Amino acid sequence: MSTRTVTPARASTRRGARQDFVTRNFGVLSILAVLAVLFVFFSVQTDAFLTSNNLVNVARQVAPTVIVAVAMTFVITTGNIDLSVGSIVGLTAASLAILAESRNPLVALMLTLVLGAGIGLINGALTAFGKLQSFIVTLAALTAVRGVALLITDGYSTPITSDVLLPIGNGKLAGLYTPTWIALVAVLLGWYVFNHTRFGRYVVAVGSNAESLRRAGVDVRRIQLAVLTLTGLAAGLAGIITAARLASGSSNSGTLFELEVITAVVLGGTALMGGKGSIVGSAIGAITLGVISNGLVLLRVDVYWVPITQGLILIVAILLNAKLFGRISGQRG
Amino acid sequence: MTSATRDVSVPRVEMRGIHKSYGALDVLRGVDLTVGRGEVVGLVGDNGAGKSTLMKMLAGAVFPDAGEIRVDGVALTGSGPRAARAAGIEMVYQDLALCNDVDVAGNLFLGREIYRPFSRRLDHRRMHEEAAQDLATLHIRIKDTRQLVANMSGGQRQAIAIARAVTFEPKVLVLDEPTAALAAREVEMTLQLIRDVSSRGVSVVLITHRLQDLFEVADRFVVLYEGVNHSQLKPSETDLGGLVTAMMGK
Repeated sequence: MSTRTVTPARASTRRGARQDFVTRNFGVLSILAVLAVLFVFFSVQTDAFLTSNNLVNVARQVAPTVIVAVAMTFVITTGNIDLSVGSIVGLTAASLAILAESRNPLVALMLTLVLGAGIGLINGALTAFGKLQSFIVTLAALTAVRGVALLITDGYSTPITSDVLLPIGNGKLAGLYTPTWIALVAVLLGWYVFNHTRFGRYVVAVGSNAESLRRAGVDVRRIQLAVLTLTGLAAGLAGIITAARLASGSSNSGTLFELEVITAVVLGGTALMGGKGSIVGSAIGAITLGVISNGLVLLRVDVYWVPITQGLILIVAILLNAKLFGRISGQRG
Repeated sequence: MTSATRDVSVPRVEMRGIHKSYGALDVLRGVDLTVGRGEVVGLVGDNGAGKSTLMKMLAGAVFPDAGEIRVDGVALTGSGPRAARAAGIEMVYQDLALCNDVDVAGNLFLGREIYRPFSRRLDHRRMHEEAAQDLATLHIRIKDTRQLVANMSGGQRQAIAIARAVTFEPKVLVLDEPTAALAAREVEMTLQLIRDVSSRGVSVVLITHRLQDLFEVADRFVVLYEGVNHSQLKPSETDLGGLVTAMMGK
């Protein structure tokens, strides 16, 4: 390896690198533009939007979506999907409250996280080793897990009073709430693992061409198992945060949450077919959804306009992405 | 390196009684294949004769139903792609087995990425530098190793697949239609590459529809017909017509 004398091809050129940056991050840049427009619009149209109080609150509200969107980016980039995260939020929120009634709060916390990860592990095992489609597996889990949550709570909410658990939702550090800090850590960690580790590289490769990766000697099933376990764990964390913030664990928490998370991930430029994903894009996608709902409420428009606007923004963003991206990158096929 | 590696009497590759069926279809029905050190074997046969399946087994991507695979005398049957790679077997697949959404360097290093031990951080810079050097060594002109493979021409993609197979100093190089998308000059370079590696002792199995290429590089032809060994021929003892006749099972 050390005896090479041939002049190597340039590893990269500056112009090529700049072009590549735009090409690769086009999804992120376009959703960032949408967010900037919305941000300016709401700042101008309402007095309350651009206040530190409001922004700090938005940053707390979007935290569960951001956390699960980071994990979901891994799943979707492998070409899989996890529809069960909303139900896991409901089950873990309820479980945390119930477990904390009789146990040490830290034990309750750990058990709840294990519960979330365990459901994810089952989803992953059925997908990876049972060779079932993750859509079907997690659709079944979406129904069944919510059912378990309703069964153990009888549909009632359970109050949380523990001084250890409540700060997870309402604690403040340096002006920001705990959930915001957790979300920030999740994004940084997710970004690092996605872009700078072998695991992240294999996640992309599974979505791009799983058979090629398998022939390169990588166990594709372990990657699938890991990503679905990760969404389960993240959903468990989101359930804990939700319950702690409301000081109450409800089996109805997280209804339709899975669709919000998937919307955020797709808004951020991650391809549903796999092979292409962006952690930062997913986070910005989640923030965009949060800003829309916050801004529209502050505008005092009918609350039913929130999902309508979110849906329209999704279509516009995807259209822009598909039409413009193809032109800019000049990608074949 | 075990003592078997240095024992010249043990063939580099030994496949015995290989069987494989997909449902009712018997693709391979007791095939044998032996390849010596530095030998170039032309594996020929009509479409569906089982050439690709046999080679995928050697590379660990397909498991045989029955039979035995030995490399340097060490059993390697059904142990998977990772073990095959570790035993020094590299293959250029007919479909190239590249990941379109991963860049050139990423594809070259797929499955054996360089990373720093403590942070687990991929050493992107070193992989790009080494990839650029490896491509230059093979006279493959790709100006930027950060390009996604999806954006490259068929010839470039094929060149990357070949580069990936030869870069990590294999003991056995399997090439399944490696020249299908290449221009005439690149085909000549690939044939020269085969001569070069075999002169260094690398065993080569070449599958190609360009039979005239086989006469240029192969030491021996192994003809498969409908999942069984049909015959073995020496290039000096036959011609294009003789080879085609053998491929048709006559």
